[in-house]
Amino acid sequence: MTASISVRGLGVRFLFDSQRDLVTPMRAKLALRTSEAWGLRDLSLDIGPGEGVALIGATGSGKTTLLRVLAGVLPADEGEIRVEGRPGSMLSIDAGLLPTLTGRENAVLLTVLGGASRARAKRQLDAIRERSGLGDSFELPASSYSQGMCARLAFTAATECDPELILLDEVHEAFDHAFREVLEATAQQVLAGGGIVVAAGHDHEILSRLCPRALLISNGQIADDGPFEQVRQGYLGEDSPEPRHVEGIAR
Amino acid sequence: MRLGWTATTNHLRVRSPRAYWDMLIALAMADLRDRYGRGPARAVKWLIDPYAVAGVYLIFVAFIVHRGGEAPGLSVACAVVPFQIFILAMMAAMRLIRERRSLILDLDFRRVLLPAAVTLTETLGFAASLSLLALMMAVYGIPPTVAALWLVPTVAVTLIFTLASSYPAMLFGVWFGRLIPFALSALRILYFLAPGVVALSQIHGTANELIRINPLTGIFEAYRDALLYGHAPHAWELLYPLAFALALLAVFLPIFRSEQRHLAKVA
Repeated sequence: MTASISVRGLGVRFLFDSQRDLVTPMRAKLALRTSEAWGLRDLSLDIGPGEGVALIGATGSGKTTLLRVLAGVLPADEGEIRVEGRPGSMLSIDAGLLPTLTGRENAVLLTVLGGASRARAKRQLDAIRERSGLGDSFELPASSYSQGMCARLAFTAATECDPELILLDEVHEAFDHAFREVLEATAQQVLAGGGIVVAAGHDHEILSRLCPRALLISNGQIADDGPFEQVRQGYLGEDSPEPRHVEGIAR
Repeated sequence: MRLGWTATTNHLRVRSPRAYWDMLIALAMADLRDRYGRGPARAVKWLIDPYAVAGVYLIFVAFIVHRGGEAPGLSVACAVVPFQIFILAMMAAMRLIRERRSLILDLDFRRVLLPAAVTLTETLGFAASLSLLALMMAVYGIPPTVAALWLVPTVAVTLIFTLASSYPAMLFGVWFGRLIPFALSALRILYFLAPGVVALSQIHGTANELIRINPLTGIFEAYRDALLYGHAPHAWELLYPLAFALALLAVFLPIFRSEQRHLAKVA
């Protein structure tokens, strides 16, 4: 396993029409007036094999956007990005779960969309049920789940295909203490094998255990990069910057 | 400065056709569970749904309203049945960006599969609605002839046309989400701008010529030829909608492929 991330001059742009609705680039060409906001701009970073990196920063600073770009969910509008390794990502609490499907059905869907074959996904169902600790709830619709249960299922499905790159966006904060141990064990296993863990959030205690290194994201750029505690102290010591950007509007 | 992704990211990783097929089936299965639920009631709902949507109307035409023309209930069914798959797929495709928001925001997969999955789901519903045609033939005592074999290519053209239309439909939903109700009303008008209520042979003059521009005209008439009139459809009835569908794919598939990576920005 040799996961790596290399980002140079990354920019992610969000376009709005005259009604301030988000639009795609093609739709923007049809609009009379458009405006734009950069979620990330001129961002560069390198993450090597075996590194755990925390993204910290104020709400709206660009952490989620960066994670989505690394996961391949959002495209880069500017710059170059090279991601080596099979990702397993959880970018929101519902993490792709469809509420009308049961835990079992969601697990199949998530693992197949994650790259596994349907046959493999079905073979892994018992393991996912056991590791997620959902018990009989595995056969119930996800709409009946608590946030913690959704996060458990999504994390288990995302990590069942041996990811080399784990991307977490605050969702680990929904885990109870028992499952945080599972998360930490999985993350340590991935790191020990030369994989990468990138986690964003506001629970600095768990982030510090997963990630020795931290990036402070501010206004769509990296404001600080270094050992977790040093970056954290810098972040907590500074005045909270105004959340400038689009995530609040977009979501 | 180079833009975009390297080939090593998941998004552009080359997958086998089998992997895409698995994803398509997984998405369609999710749609089907959403619509029909699970357990024994699922099959009953699948069979009853087309009757709930169009069956009552057809029974009304066949048994209550005594209209002129040849087997009016079957004639209308030959239009209503293919139109149902078309309009239901368009409705689902336009709302996909909202319905599948959580998948789009969280997972890296080919979004180009989403409209195809919708068409696959609607195809299964469409299979059940074919029984309406058999019912109408029985009601009017019209036995199937060899021409009924033309139902196979006719159904194929219907599905290709629906698939091709689902891409611009999803793009419309992404681009003009607030206008979806208007767009659906406009699409429903296409039924009346085709020989949906009466057969093409009962429409005369310039209207007869103009109505052939609508690709649904050929599809509706092909069903009537195969099942009602007992002869092979005219070539244009299948080739024109097929050509129209291929033109839609040629225009909108590249646009969709270009837009699919930006869907997470607007979902």
